[in-house]
Amino acid sequence: MNRRVVITGAGVVGSIGTGVDEFWRHCLQAKSVVAPIPANWEHYAALHSRVWSPLPDIDPEYLGVARTERLQLDPGSVLAIGAAREAFERAGFSLVPDAKNSRVFTLAGVDAARIGVYLGTGIGGAYSFLHNHTHHLSQRARATLKAYAETRAPAQDRETLDGVLALMAHGPRYHPFVVSMLMPNASSAAVAIKFSLTGPNVTYCVACASGTVAVGNAYRAVRDGCVDVAVSGGCEYLNDEHGHIFRGFDIAGTLVRNCADPEAANRPFDEQRSGFLFSQGGAAVLVLEDLEHAQRRGATIMAELIGFAETFDAHSMMSLAPGGEQIERVLRTALADAGVGVHEVDYINAHGTGTKNNDETEAEIIDRVFGKSVRVNSTKSLVGHTIGASGAIEILVTALSLRDQTTHICRNLDAPLRDLNFVRAVEQFDLRVALSQSFAFGGHNAAVVLRRFS
Amino acid sequence: MNNDVQQRVLKAIAEVLERKETEIRLDASLRDDLAFDSLKQMTLFILLEDEFQRTITPDEVMGVVTVKDIIGFIDRKLQEPAPT
Repeated sequence: MNRRVVITGAGVVGSIGTGVDEFWRHCLQAKSVVAPIPANWEHYAALHSRVWSPLPDIDPEYLGVARTERLQLDPGSVLAIGAAREAFERAGFSLVPDAKNSRVFTLAGVDAARIGVYLGTGIGGAYSFLHNHTHHLSQRARATLKAYAETRAPAQDRETLDGVLALMAHGPRYHPFVVSMLMPNASSAAVAIKFSLTGPNVTYCVACASGTVAVGNAYRAVRDGCVDVAVSGGCEYLNDEHGHIFRGFDIAGTLVRNCADPEAANRPFDEQRSGFLFSQGGAAVLVLEDLEHAQRRGATIMAELIGFAETFDAHSMMSLAPGGEQIERVLRTALADAGVGVHEVDYINAHGTGTKNNDETEAEIIDRVFGKSVRVNSTKSLVGHTIGASGAIEILVTALSLRDQTTHICRNLDAPLRDLNFVRAVEQFDLRVALSQSFAFGGHNAAVVLRRFS
Repeated sequence: MNNDVQQRVLKAIAEVLERKETEIRLDASLRDDLAFDSLKQMTLFILLEDEFQRTITPDEVMGVVTVKDIIGFIDRKLQEPAPT
């Protein structure tokens, strides 16, 4: 069985916007949110990068997640539920509150067993792990030290002890739901519980390629007839109270270094790039659907998914293999899966992190495989890097670009590292076939091919 | 029994159960009348920890059976100094 697979709905939460309309409008306006990292993070370590891309205050109504639900979920899962809810509504599904529990919905008129959930995350519930780990490690030690400071410590030591006590700050409890909050599969489980979906339920944990791999496998599941509808995408929450996660990427030398001018710090594919902009997180969820199923429902189609491939470098945990042989293979295999030639590709939404190594290798491969005419941009130049959500966000941007026959610029690109057709202005163009690609720590490569729907 | 505490406890129970506060009787048993399972009970005590800014350990609430028991328990907890 080889069915046509179309995107009928989408939802997104990112640093530059909540909801597809706002997010896309801000993409086309080249909006980016860059702010200093929380001041207390620098009390724990000497950090090289000093900026990040924080999420906005998100309207609880958008998320549709009650306080009692949020208490039991990692923030990454909450973002996924919010994006999934928007995606279902945009796809035209009627969400009917369950008779016994009005916080749980069923989708009217569709077979829940034929709807699968395929989500990606790079670090799962790391926030929940770290939040509770800090409590586990510090709570008793801090209480003991505090009692000493208040009763027996010499007066001249009090200021020092108060400083140490402040560093040992922790949350109010060791959470009884911590296991189900931190497990990486919690996000796809949470989405399926919220919307009563009983089809296959899988979480892909493939670092920065997680979202792309999730959407790609969801595409295959619909194409091959395993499900009629697939809820697919990625989510990530990279914040924590003490900057642990940020420090991990910072010490690896992957984050932007030139932070004196925050607005100019994030510059994928530019000669002056110095690393990627760390994002607080985000989520993008797409509703993929069998074309005939979508047409029977009268759904509006955003774009068509036509190809997917994955390869693995088998070279290094943290560096792309020189020459990019497996990246070239993933692109050619995805195009073969789609049945299109390299010269038919009009636009590439690149991985485009802004690291020296990634951008140089990626640009070289694009030049070698596609030449200089294909349009190229990096959504990370606006949003920063959301790790496991990034691939899904970029597939969404690619689908919206196909729908509207335009796309966003590659921000802060003053001196391109290579002579490619980087998008420098928002303008209409004939966009029929597009490609979105992701490369991940570990050595995972993935690419998805999309086509304008007609 | 502190009326403010009673109202806030009833509100938390209603929020966990998705019912109206007026439907919650003070002598109702959490398990037998209100169908609280262990997960709902944990959720309730987390909500109450946040609401009253006190730590509630599982051992402390072992003997809690009715809504009135919870209100009495919270009343007593509030006599303890607030954590800093």
